[in-house]
Amino acid sequence: MSQEAIVSKRAGPATAVEAAAGLRDIWWRRVLFVPTIGLLILLAIVPLIFSLGISLFNYSIGSRAIWIGLRNYISLFTDPQFWLATRVTVQFTIVAVSIEVVLGILFGFVMNQRFTGMSVIRLIVFLPMMLAPFVVGLFWRFMFDQTFGIVDYLLTRIGLQAIPWLIHPFWARVAVVIVDVWQWTPFVTLLVLAGLGTVPTDLLEAATLDRASNWMKFRQIYWPYLRFPLLLALLFRSIDTLKMFDLPFILTGGGPGNYTSTLSILGYRQQIMFFNVGMAAAISWVVVIIINIVTNILVRLITPAKAEQVHTGL
Amino acid sequence: MKIFKRVLGIGLALLVAALFLFPLLWVVLASFKTKLELLAVPPVFIFKPTLQNYINAFRSDFPMQVRNSLIIAVSSTVISIILGSLTAYGFSRYSIKNGDFLQFWILSLRMLPAIAVVVPFYLVFRALKLLDTHIALILVYCLTNISFAVWVLKGFFDEIPLELEEAAMLDGYSPPQVFLRVALPLARAGLATTTIFCLIQSLNEFLLAVSLTTRVAETAPVGLSKVQTLMGVDWGLLSAASVIFMIPIVIFTIIVRNELVRGMSFGRMK
Repeated sequence: MSQEAIVSKRAGPATAVEAAAGLRDIWWRRVLFVPTIGLLILLAIVPLIFSLGISLFNYSIGSRAIWIGLRNYISLFTDPQFWLATRVTVQFTIVAVSIEVVLGILFGFVMNQRFTGMSVIRLIVFLPMMLAPFVVGLFWRFMFDQTFGIVDYLLTRIGLQAIPWLIHPFWARVAVVIVDVWQWTPFVTLLVLAGLGTVPTDLLEAATLDRASNWMKFRQIYWPYLRFPLLLALLFRSIDTLKMFDLPFILTGGGPGNYTSTLSILGYRQQIMFFNVGMAAAISWVVVIIINIVTNILVRLITPAKAEQVHTGL
Repeated sequence: MKIFKRVLGIGLALLVAALFLFPLLWVVLASFKTKLELLAVPPVFIFKPTLQNYINAFRSDFPMQVRNSLIIAVSSTVISIILGSLTAYGFSRYSIKNGDFLQFWILSLRMLPAIAVVVPFYLVFRALKLLDTHIALILVYCLTNISFAVWVLKGFFDEIPLELEEAAMLDGYSPPQVFLRVALPLARAGLATTTIFCLIQSLNEFLLAVSLTTRVAETAPVGLSKVQTLMGVDWGLLSAASVIFMIPIVIFTIIVRNELVRGMSFGRMK
């Protein structure tokens, strides 16, 4: 990975500053880095190593820990519940994130117009992603209710059939996806808007003068500026849905019949309901590994040449 | 043709806004309904509003839980902004040994699933007798908040022309003074956006909060999840509480609405 690029790019001016500052300022650099990195090691590396250790024990809170090697992982991989949860998690991620990206681009262009009142509309559109997923799940559950819910009422009013949201294995999953899309499409829209804001106006004027078709405009002018924000959106949304917990937890409780149980819910149950800490740690490691793989694939597949951008946030 | 396009564009924008607004309005409406009206079939749109749900919410543990949420979110955000801006500035200005690796590592922490740290945190905090305290959640939230702050703020510091800082140095400013008096004020927009996002993230978090608190330090989302299990589903109370909990978030969003889009372009947009 060409991360050296960042350093070399900054090396020229940075050394000038450093030279001016002189060696007496070594303590200043320590202030810049040491507390943060120290705290992060304490908060991330230590717990992760600890949990890797726990995952090798048969350990329930209140009882003695017994070393069992990889047996937690073996029983996990032979458990159909685990494979169902993995499938559900991946399904949610693929379906929800693709819808969010497509709608996010469309809404981004819609929101990019200028007229009085647009700032209010933008504000409304950005609200859902600011709310707690838990609270969002709560009021969608109220709206999806089979007897008094507004969603089914509106469906029957326009002549469609009422849908057994939340209690039917298929529709419960659809409901989770709908709510996730409702809450997180604004995030993609926001990143698209940020990208659109960086398109130079003279480029757009030239294209209008040349009577370029809409598709040509999108492909030639907008796309280069949208690619990076969209990659970011894809990355963040994929990771966040892979670790999804709050939404299905409150919307369906993981049911019916575990059909909306994500890996995070499975791990939570092992810990909180069965106090099986060793198994919970094993599940959490599987989530970490899946997220790592997906992150690496996304970063490399989509922008092989510009992978370092993700790391620098430029 | 041009006018037609314009009207269509505005119409689409309004439609999109309606899609996102309707569920929110529906909860606000619900919070003013009586129990009977809440469960009415078909749903009622026009009714005489009651404040009973809000009175109930204020009489429950909910205000205390909101207080916990705010204490935890503000403390964690202050720590994260201080440490995050220092380190982001460091990455932007100095080349340190393994700097690129460290930077990537800090970013990757933003990706770390809560479920991965919840087990060890639970055991460690239990051993330290810190379960169900503010400190536990403040520390835990620093993990994602710092990594987020470093990432966003570095982009903003990168955009500050070095000439400005060099000029300040020639005027006799020491590096810490340059950071405090030149760099930080110029990164205002980034600091504002980062602060709001850290606050929101911490207020909204659920999995760690539900696992590491039981009563005393319970945050608002955790409290709401329990209302629902103990007393059946009191939708009136829940929607009133949700609306109360949404108010600070809505205010934050209004404050940063202009910085939001610019903040997400990581300082590239002028």
